[in-house]
Formats: sequence, C-alpha cells, structure tokens
Amino acid sequence: MRLLVLLWSLGPLLWQLRTSLLRPEALVAPLLDGNPWTLANYQLVLSGDPPFWRYLTNSTLVGLATTLLTLLLAVPCAYGLQRLRGPLRWGVGLALVAAAMFPTVLLFLALLEIARSIGLANNLLALSLPYTALSLPLAVLLLRAAFADLPRELEDAARLEGLGLGQRLRFVLLPLLGPALASTAILVFLASWNEYAIALTWISRSDLLTLPIAIARIGGGSVFTIPYGAFAAATVLGSLPLLLLVLLAQRSIVSGLTRGAVKG
Amino acid sequence: MSSSSGAGLELRQLCREVGGRCLLDRLDLQVAPGECVALLGPSGCGKSTTLRLVAGLDPASGGQVLLDGVDLSGRSPGERQVAMVFQSYALYPHLSVEGNLDLGLKVRGMAPRERQRRIDATLELLQLGELRQRRPAQLSGGQRQRVALARALLRQPRIVLLDEPMSNLDAQLREDLRPELRRLLCGREQPVIYVTHDQQEAVGMADRIALLEAGRLQQVGSPRDLYTNPANRFVASFLGRPAINLLTIEPGRQLGLRPEHLRLDDDGAVAARLLRKEWWGHQQLLWFDSPWGTLRVLTTAEAPMPPEPRLGWQRQHELWFDPESGARLAA
Amino acid sequence: MKSRTVSLLLMLPALLLLAAVFLYPLLRYGWLSLQASSVLTGLVPVPNGGANWGRLLDDARFWTDAAQTLRFALCSVALELLGGLALALLLHRPLRGRGPLRALTLLPWALPTTVMALGWRWIFNDPHGPLNAAIRSLGGSSYGFLSTPSTTWFFVVLADVWKTMPFVALLLLAGLQTIPADLEEALRLEGACRLQILRRLTLPLLVPYLSLALLFRLAQALGVFDLIQVLTGGGPAGSTESLALYAYLNAMRFLDFGYASTVMLATFLLLLVSLGGGWLLLRRHGLERTTEQAT
Repeated sequence: MRLLVLLWSLGPLLWQLRTSLLRPEALVAPLLDGNPWTLANYQLVLSGDPPFWRYLTNSTLVGLATTLLTLLLAVPCAYGLQRLRGPLRWGVGLALVAAAMFPTVLLFLALLEIARSIGLANNLLALSLPYTALSLPLAVLLLRAAFADLPRELEDAARLEGLGLGQRLRFVLLPLLGPALASTAILVFLASWNEYAIALTWISRSDLLTLPIAIARIGGGSVFTIPYGAFAAATVLGSLPLLLLVLLAQRSIVSGLTRGAVKG
Repeated sequence: MSSSSGAGLELRQLCREVGGRCLLDRLDLQVAPGECVALLGPSGCGKSTTLRLVAGLDPASGGQVLLDGVDLSGRSPGERQVAMVFQSYALYPHLSVEGNLDLGLKVRGMAPRERQRRIDATLELLQLGELRQRRPAQLSGGQRQRVALARALLRQPRIVLLDEPMSNLDAQLREDLRPELRRLLCGREQPVIYVTHDQQEAVGMADRIALLEAGRLQQVGSPRDLYTNPANRFVASFLGRPAINLLTIEPGRQLGLRPEHLRLDDDGAVAARLLRKEWWGHQQLLWFDSPWGTLRVLTTAEAPMPPEPRLGWQRQHELWFDPESGARLAA
Repeated sequence: MKSRTVSLLLMLPALLLLAAVFLYPLLRYGWLSLQASSVLTGLVPVPNGGANWGRLLDDARFWTDAAQTLRFALCSVALELLGGLALALLLHRPLRGRGPLRALTLLPWALPTTVMALGWRWIFNDPHGPLNAAIRSLGGSSYGFLSTPSTTWFFVVLADVWKTMPFVALLLLAGLQTIPADLEEALRLEGACRLQILRRLTLPLLVPYLSLALLFRLAQALGVFDLIQVLTGGGPAGSTESLALYAYLNAMRFLDFGYASTVMLATFLLLLVSLGGGWLLLRRHGLERTTEQAT
C-alpha cells in the first residue's frame, strides 16, 4: 500500500528526474551506442540567458517579501478579529473564508489595470502586494485559531502587570505563537512561490520572471518543440528548494493546515 | 460620608451586563485593609465577574470600585496595582520562573539591580530559589501555584485578588496550603478578595464571606454569622454539610433544621423510621423516613438506636423561611 | 466600546488590502462589462448598453466552456475526495515512517502547478512519453492522450487529481485526528468490523471535513486556469478550455476587456450558484447535525 502511494505521488517526479539526466536522443529512441546519461541539460539551463538561478532568486525574493508582509498584516488582524465580539466577527470570518476559496485567476484583469495605472507592472517586489492579499485570508484564519488556543488568562495576567498591547504581543503572545507563525509563513511562501496568473500578466521582462512563469516559457511553443530534457532539468532544479522545505517543515505544514481545518 | 473616606476597597452598586444578560447586579461590598473576604457561590454566580471588574479586566456596566476612597474606574488593569492569582495560574509557559517574575518589572522600566533584588527576596519568601531556572511545565501543581503567588506579591500590590487559587490542587495539598496562604496574604495592609466555590476553603481562609447567587449578593458576614443566622433559604442550604433539612410542616412557612440540631429524643415531635446509616468516623449520618419527608441527622457515632425512634430539636435552632421567596421569617 | 475600536483598527490595514484586491475587481468588472473596451475602441471604455451580456447569452463558446468546466470540476473533485479519503485513512494508521510518508505524498501539492503540468505533458507525450512507450511495449499502439478531443479532458482531470489529492487527504486527516479513539474501540467491542466502523462512525463524523474539502475544491476547480493553460492550452479543438482560460484569452489575446470582464463576472456568478447549490444540498443531508455532533 505504502509503495503504491509513493509510486503515485513520486512517480511523475522521478520520471522528470530521469528525463533530465538523459541525452535528448535517448528520449526519443533507445540509444544503440554510448552512454545515454548526461548532465548537459543542467548545463544548458544554468547557462541560459538569464541563467536559471535568476528565477530562483526572483521567486525567493517575492516569496520572502510576501511572507513578511502577510505576517505583518495578518497578526494584528487575527488578534483584532479574535477579540471582536458580535455580528461583525462572524461577518468578517465568513468573508475571509469566502476570500480564501475564491479562484484568484478571476482577479487578474482588474489587478493588471491597477498595476499598469500606478506603474507596478514589471516590478518584482510589487508582486508581493497582491500575493499578500491572496494569502491573507488563510493566514488570518490560521492565526486567529492560534490566538484562540491561547488561554485568555495569560493575556489578562500580562495586562495586570501593566503590559501594553504591543508589549503583550511581543513578550507574551507572539513567542507562544511561534509554531503557528512558522506554519503560516511556510504556507504563504508556498502559495507565493507557485502563483501563476498574476505573475504571468504583471511581469514581461525575462530577467524578472518568477519560476513558474519561466518554466512555463521554456515549455511554451508547440507540443513538438519542447526541449523536454532542459525543461525537466529546470523542473528538478525548481523543485529542489520545495522538496527541502516540505521535508523539513512537514510537521509544521500538517499541523498548520490541520488547525486551520479544525477551526475554520 | 464615612464610606468614601474609609480605607480599603469598596464596591458600590457594581454591575456587569453582557448582551442583555445580567452577570452581576448592583453589588455593594467593603473590604478593610488587611481583611480577607471570600466570594462564595455556585459556578456562574458572578464571583469571577466581580474579580475581573475589580481588576479592570472587564468594563463595569455601572457602579464604582473605590480604593481608599479613590474611584478606580477608567484606570487600566496595569494602573490599578492589583495582583491576581488565576485558577490556571496563568504562568507564561515560555519563560522561566525568574522570567515570569521579571517581565512585569522589566516593562515598568525598573533598574536591573532593583529587579533582581526584589525577585530574590520574593523567591526566598516562597522558598522557590532552587526552581528559578525552571519552566512552568517542569513544576508540580503546588510549585506553580507558589510561583503565581510570588508573581502577585512581587509587585507590592494594593489589592490582592485570588480566583480559585487552589482548585487545581489535590485535596490534601489544599488543606496544607491554607495556613501558608493566610500567612503570606492576609493581615498585611492590602484588602484581599478570595474567590472559591468551596465553603470549607472560604471558612478556612476568610474573615468574612460574601455569598453570591445569580449575580446577586445574598449575605455578607463572618462564617459563623452566615451559618447560624442565614438571611435566606439559599444561604442556609448552601452552607453546612450535610445540607440543612427543609420541611413543610405547616402552610405558609418552611422550617429549616440543620442535621446536627436534630437528635434522637423519646419525647421528640416526630416519629421516624431509620433508612440507612453513613459512618463518618467520630460521627454518623442517619437517614430517616418521616411524615415530613426524608430527614438527615448527624449524631455521635456511639448513639444507640431505640426500637421506635423519635426526633426532636430545640426551638432556638429553628430557621423559618417563606416557601415561595425563600426569605427568612421571624421565628 | 474602546476595545472594539482597537480591534477594528488592528484589522483595518488587512481588510483594506483585501477589499482592494478582492472587492474592487468585482466592482470594476461590473462596470467594465457594461462598456465596450477593446482594440476597436482603442482600449478606451465606451458604454454599450449591455451589449456584452447579450453577446454572452448567444456565445456558444462560453456555454460550451461552462459545461466543460463543470464537467472537469465535478469529476476531479469527486475523484479527489475518494482518493483523498483513502489516502487519509492510510496515513492515519500508525505506520512506520509515517512522517516522511506524509511529507512525500504532500509534495505534488507543494510544487508549482505549471511545473507539473509540463511534466504531465511529457508523460502523456505522443509518441515519446513513457505512457505510450509502455503501451507500445505491451503491444498496443500509441494513443494521443492530449490530442484526442473526446478523451483529453479526462487526462487533465487526472493531472489535477494527482496535484490536489494530497491537500484533500491532509484536510481529511485533520478530521480523522479529531475522532476520539475510544469511540472506535467502543464500536469494536460491540463486534463491528472495519467496514462497519468506517460507515457508521468515521464517515458521519468526517462529514464536516468532507464538506469543507468539497466546497473549497469545487471553487478552485471551477476557476481552473494554469493547469489547462500549460497542459493543453485549451485544446485539442477547444475541448478542454475552461471559463477562466476563455476569460484570459479574451483579455490578453483578443484584447477585449469589456467582454473579458463580462466572462469573468459570469464565471463568478456561475461559481456562486454552484457553491450555493452544493451548500444547500449538504445542508439538506444533515450537515449541520453532524457538525454539531463533531464539535
């Protein structure tokens, strides 16, 4: 059973790995002579113009900026929402759930208009603005659940000791929220790393492309001309950071999503 | 007015209403300096609500909290110089014992040396010196409670509030800790309010008891006062174990008789049939069936049982109540 | 009152950004959908009195796409729920190496859609892809997985299921973890077999999570875009084109912003109707009752 599951989940990925290591001729027909294995695909991708690591850097930059901005906005919002009572709390919560479910591709046209009118198109870091908005609903819901898990008396005790709102957050609440912050940050980073529609329309300069767009461009054109070997190499390179992230933060991701699901 | 100039804590017509529901209804209560008043009552009676209002954690819907004649309304919890020990202790789980004590002093901008001096003194007082580097999770329940106490005392509060501080401890420890708690908290200059649902604890800790039910104050007085001279049926039945016998022997009046005031008496007013005995060591609790219903009687363990028992009591022990309102009636 | 103001102030920045990114576009589309704004008008909006909506009603391509999108969404969500449930049940059992197993099964969900869409394009390649190679080695002849209009949509569904099933599984796993173990033990003491436990205990208690996964995935699947754009580009012969892709093409290829807005808004409305329908259906089948039991 376990083997079957692994085959299903990893098979396509492993096939990409194999493809990336084969000489192009070996992809089409079994080679009669010589060694079919090669690293040429990786050389090709890494020496392209712009080189592949450029996209990795771009995506990382946007991802980090998005994560930071999201947490900066989501933490106060979640705290406020958790403290709020009455119909407004219910209404905002529902709106957040609705926004979290919204298929974001439907937003791209209006966002593109905004970006063009205030000169944010082709601005890498500006991407983190819509990305932050797209990640906010889930982040706020996750963090609100985490705030709700903290005993109210902890904050009461801090209030009695004369800690102001900022001090309570800094010295008492946020340190206790560490795991929740980490898992939220990872989910936000993943979402930003993988976003397609907005990056596709906002960014046209090839040195500013994020990874998903760059890879899609490699594969662009007709079905028959795709340089599959080079593309597979790009896939593998682009997946490695995520593979590491998921393996390292598996527990965090699972617990974050779990909490979100239980409370959401 | 004598009350406004009076030292100590005074609650005047204090109210709390949430969503149209009244949690506390016009509470008047005074706590003298050094006095310990227990707020006693079943859960949901408004005792914790009162504490949170005094601390300023929740806003009052009406009334005032006065300390030494000065109105505290409008002051934040931090400005009130109130110390509170929570039922859960509310220790910061990510900080060591020392860190827990230090945080409040640090944010008030106290010099490090002074902070250290005070922390050392308090740890010494509570014999916590060896645990100073431990995290709350590494402490036993009793140790956690002492840390919470230390944190409360450290700040030299002007009011001490305790919210069921012992209900998370086992019964034996609770009894052992009571004198210690009294030594540390009561008889100093601060007024102390002690919230509990356990009458034994209230009697053991407090100079006076304020009994609450459904947000209303039922009676305030010394434990003896409340026991011998209850203001109404609720007070009479809440205090005292085993619970008081309530009998309807004539229309328009209800008679309350404590189990220890009923006794086997050949000339007694009522004939009864023994249902069962509970052996309590030096005493025994007898359950009788009588024309007035089931009666609980507490006697010494050696009392012999006559073949046809009758029960009697002294007039002075009779407590009469209105059967509808539960109000106390003159004998 | 004061505390309420503080709460609102704390929420304000986030809510403003959300309004700008979620609410403004919808309002903007509402306005644009009543304008002619295309290359013909020099991309300057000119009111055209609802002509876009009239065109939409007569637009066969829109309605075909709507049907195709619905077909895609229903099939892939159904398969994801089934597969996700099986996967969740497996991952819930105390297996050795459960942590790494969970991480590895989660991997498809964590990778960019476009990356794996191109991966699948190679796997489905005719004739060089591994699937066709396997078919040939078994004596069959190559199959145009992505070039046969009548079946290609199903392979798109397959790629989608592969990518999003782990997410559903994770959500259901969260649900499974809320079920107290002693409930299952109690049922086992009464002699229930595993299948009975699943039917009488696990599934009913999982209904809130299944519903959440269903609604969430349905919304996402109805807006499917990047997978299809990269995997098939909507082809062959438009047989896999989704509403979102059609809207995208209207805006970015045909440069008709007015009509693109109309299509987006119409897609959004269809989405609301589908989700509303799904929600009502769930409620009628006692979702709320089981929700209460579970919490």
